[in-house]
Amino acid sequence: MTTLVGSDLDAAERDVEPTKAPRRGSSHRPGEKPFGVGRIIAFAVLALLALGWLLPFLWAVDTAFKTETDAASAPSWIPSEGFTTQAFEAILSQGNVPTWAFNSLITSVAITLITLVISSLAAYAFSRLEFAGRRWLFVLIIASIIVPPQVLMIPLYYEMLTFRMVDTYWGLILPQVVIPAMVFILKKFFDNVPIELEEAARMDGANRLRVFWSVVLPLSRPILASVAIFVFITAWNNFLWPFLVINDTSLMTLPIGLQTVISAYGVQYAQLMAQAVLAALPLVVVFLIFQRQVIKGVATSGFGGQ
Amino acid sequence: MTATTAAQGDRSVALAGVAGHDAAASRSGRRRRDNLVGWGFVAPFLVFFVLFLIWPILFGIYLSFTDQSLAGTGGNLVGFANYAEALSDPIMWRSFGNTVWFTVVSTVPLVLIALIMALLVDQGLPGQWLWRLSFFMPFLLASTVASQIWVWIYNPQLGIANAVIGALGMEPVAWLQDADTALYAIIVQTVWWTIGFNFLLYLAALQNIPPQHYEAASIDGAGKWRQLWSITLPQLGPTTVLIVILQILASLKLFDQVYQMLGGVSSPTTRSVVLYIFESGFTGYRFGYSAAISYVFFAIIIIISVAQYPITRRRRAS
Amino acid sequence: MMNEFRLPTSAVSRRQVLLGGMAVLGAAALAGCAGPAQASGRSQLKFWHLLSGGDGVKMQGLIDEANAASDTYRVAPTVLAWGTPYYTKLAMASAGGKAPDVAIMHATRVAGYAPGGLVDPWDLDELAALGVDQNTFPERIWEKGFSGDQLYSVALDAHPFILMYNTDICDQAGLLGSNGQLNPIDSPDAFLDAARAVNGVTGTQALAYGYLGDGAQMWRLFYTLYSQQGATMTVTPGQKMEYEEDAAVTALEYMQALLDGTIANPQSDYPSAVAEFATGEAGMFLTGVWELPTMQQNEVPFDASPIPTLFGTPASYADSHSFVLPHQDSPDPAKRKAVYQFVADLLTSSFAWAEAGHVPAYLPVTESPDYADLEPQAHYAAAADNIVYDPPAWFTGSGSNFQADFGQAIQPALLGGEDAAGAFRSFVDRVNTLLSSPNPVNPEGGV
Repeated sequence: MTTLVGSDLDAAERDVEPTKAPRRGSSHRPGEKPFGVGRIIAFAVLALLALGWLLPFLWAVDTAFKTETDAASAPSWIPSEGFTTQAFEAILSQGNVPTWAFNSLITSVAITLITLVISSLAAYAFSRLEFAGRRWLFVLIIASIIVPPQVLMIPLYYEMLTFRMVDTYWGLILPQVVIPAMVFILKKFFDNVPIELEEAARMDGANRLRVFWSVVLPLSRPILASVAIFVFITAWNNFLWPFLVINDTSLMTLPIGLQTVISAYGVQYAQLMAQAVLAALPLVVVFLIFQRQVIKGVATSGFGGQ
Repeated sequence: MTATTAAQGDRSVALAGVAGHDAAASRSGRRRRDNLVGWGFVAPFLVFFVLFLIWPILFGIYLSFTDQSLAGTGGNLVGFANYAEALSDPIMWRSFGNTVWFTVVSTVPLVLIALIMALLVDQGLPGQWLWRLSFFMPFLLASTVASQIWVWIYNPQLGIANAVIGALGMEPVAWLQDADTALYAIIVQTVWWTIGFNFLLYLAALQNIPPQHYEAASIDGAGKWRQLWSITLPQLGPTTVLIVILQILASLKLFDQVYQMLGGVSSPTTRSVVLYIFESGFTGYRFGYSAAISYVFFAIIIIISVAQYPITRRRRAS
Repeated sequence: MMNEFRLPTSAVSRRQVLLGGMAVLGAAALAGCAGPAQASGRSQLKFWHLLSGGDGVKMQGLIDEANAASDTYRVAPTVLAWGTPYYTKLAMASAGGKAPDVAIMHATRVAGYAPGGLVDPWDLDELAALGVDQNTFPERIWEKGFSGDQLYSVALDAHPFILMYNTDICDQAGLLGSNGQLNPIDSPDAFLDAARAVNGVTGTQALAYGYLGDGAQMWRLFYTLYSQQGATMTVTPGQKMEYEEDAAVTALEYMQALLDGTIANPQSDYPSAVAEFATGEAGMFLTGVWELPTMQQNEVPFDASPIPTLFGTPASYADSHSFVLPHQDSPDPAKRKAVYQFVADLLTSSFAWAEAGHVPAYLPVTESPDYADLEPQAHYAAAADNIVYDPPAWFTGSGSNFQADFGQAIQPALLGGEDAAGAFRSFVDRVNTLLSSPNPVNPEGGV
């Protein structure tokens, strides 16, 4: 999920701020009419594409608000028995979905925090500190960016068996905090933080850890936010590793629970879609509120996205 | 890069050997402290890095030379038997073929449609917020959620996919059940799910094209289409290369959608390499063999990653 | 130390508070979930099964009753998707050492788990003390639970593949006898004729049979028809598959003949076949006994019989839902004891399981007068006398790759009319590859 291609360094730094007001719309371009035929066609195509991309989601939401009988009838946007929240009530009262949501939240927060702490410490060392072995270690970490997590499936699972960490939160969390690309991104950022501020603090007798904590980190809020958002989204959505390491349904995260555990009562489409909608909701809400930061977080940190 | 400070440090360390005795003593004391601080900062990451990345990679190589099973039995060294079997395993090659085919077929729309979306959104038409929401939001969904939504859409009796083609007078299709259509159905889902990321990269690249380019062109009397062909698309070249490479690397790792949409049952026409690794190891219990396929797969990823490096370098230089 | 430092702004300290809070929350959650909650003095048993739909509802009912009646255990069931996902997860949970306390497994799958130590053996004495022993099971079903001289699975039922028929439609087609049941059909052509008569009534199609993308469904019908010809199949690791090609081709060609678009719809997957029979579009239904409750709920006027003996030898494909003890590194003795009690309780109350369509394995249930009165169950119970299980091997059984491979090889022949013999040979090739590769469950040899 988090593999970053080693050579996309420049791109990774690029500042992506598409939410800025369209500063170069065609009306700004010389020689163009603001409401030409071209723009109307462009608008129509865009609207069609957007509709195409929204429809699957709307259909899922629509289904989630139907009764099971309506959901299992011939497809129709307007259900004959009217819209209802029955499916959501059923899902929430069964207890699994809240448990999984809790697990997702706890593990994603833990993964995000640990990743931020260990990656930024290491990145700072690579950016600022002189120590023996620094260069080869950095090269090793950058090189490891190309390791696909899928390759580790078998040996990592075997390791978890040995450590008795299968079916534990730790087994779920710890292997996900190693994201070498984040060290790289943070180091690139720290490289550009003016060193003078640190030197001033050091003159005052602050040690490295204090300088890092109180000078560098506050200055790095934007990149920390980007990294945090990206790591959180990745962890919240991750499938493969949690799917392998967790068998106990009470420890599953949302994506794993949704995929693995089914209803004894057979396929209930409205409930399935209600689950899907509930699982998607937190990130959609976060996106609606923090659109700019999320886009930036994904664009700066998310190379090799899926 | 600000490697200068470190480089100076290294040089001073090297000089310490020939410097006077006192200076050397204080230098080596400082050096020891620097090492301590440096490794101290790196240590927390390093512990996890070694435990959960380096060690599994090395241990996996060992496993690939054994007949270790999930059940804990086996574990004897079998030499290159697993690799020999993998390289002559038609199912493995078929799954490689499927993965490559998936990559080829999905990359085209994932690049072209993303480009069209970005070009259109960049026109500054009203509704920016909605466009971005529509195209990017699916990317934020967990693979499970995206898969379940599409399994529902593809449902042979109750799905809207068949309702739509039925309205057009076509026969219903068993999208995911039919071995001939399953992979394409998954590709459509993948395009829907992941295009937002490419769209985003294109949009960012478009907004980074200096407006002067267009001004100069329009003074020269170039029309809008001319500008598109002579300025916009060439300027997007590096981004396209980047997107294609990221797309290839991501598509080769295909697992989630296939596993989820086909309910954990794969067929020769849909099985991806990673799915075959999973099946060999966890359904077939053969950890050793599964590890061997993993490393064949890894080798291919490395080759592609290394091969793309000079290409992107050259693009960037020009 | 951090507090005495002077630089932090209010924003930083707010973040510290936030981070600290999250850390505490995380730690609390980790600590809280370390041990299973012990709600009362009763053992909390984790029970995995793969029964959904009609079966799932019935099983849930049995569990609820058992829970209500017991003061020693409380069973919390988890349902996983039937087939490969279930068995893969069960193996992974067993390998992880923290498996559920008890699970349902198809009897045909035990060969893939027992030799590798993924399931623990049952203690025969402890079972016998609870009234569960070889005298309370049909011999074939009891024996199926053994691997070597250890008992690994205790069967709850036998669930054969049967023929359901819509009594209204079949009556109009003139197929019913004076007792209201289907007249005996004893040859391939007779069955085709009967089906055409049904088609004359429905106008749409005669026979609901869903198979698309479903290797198990294809295998069930195939293996029934194959075994009805007296043919057998043996798969032994290290050797070539032993089979009778003529019988296989005959069975497959007969399946092709059924899927001609008028007798049975070749575009039918499992759920659509259920719908075809439930809505009366089709008058006959080739299915497992487990669809019985669905049809009863839909108030379809129907009866059922064993698959007619078309090729001389009575045989019905079947499997058994069986209880197994997934391997645990250090099982809690109290919980294990509670598991034995739970299994015995479910067996003795398995009359209700018969209502789900299955033929209970526990003889005191099937020999009861109540069961003889149970219709239509009593009409097809005879199928359990002639059941054929999958040829035993580590890779065969319900929901296995073996059945999935079969479907992949055979579907083109059924859907696209490709050569049956060629399709079967590609299946044989696949099985031979599996047979020649090392047995991961038991590298020292054996099934």
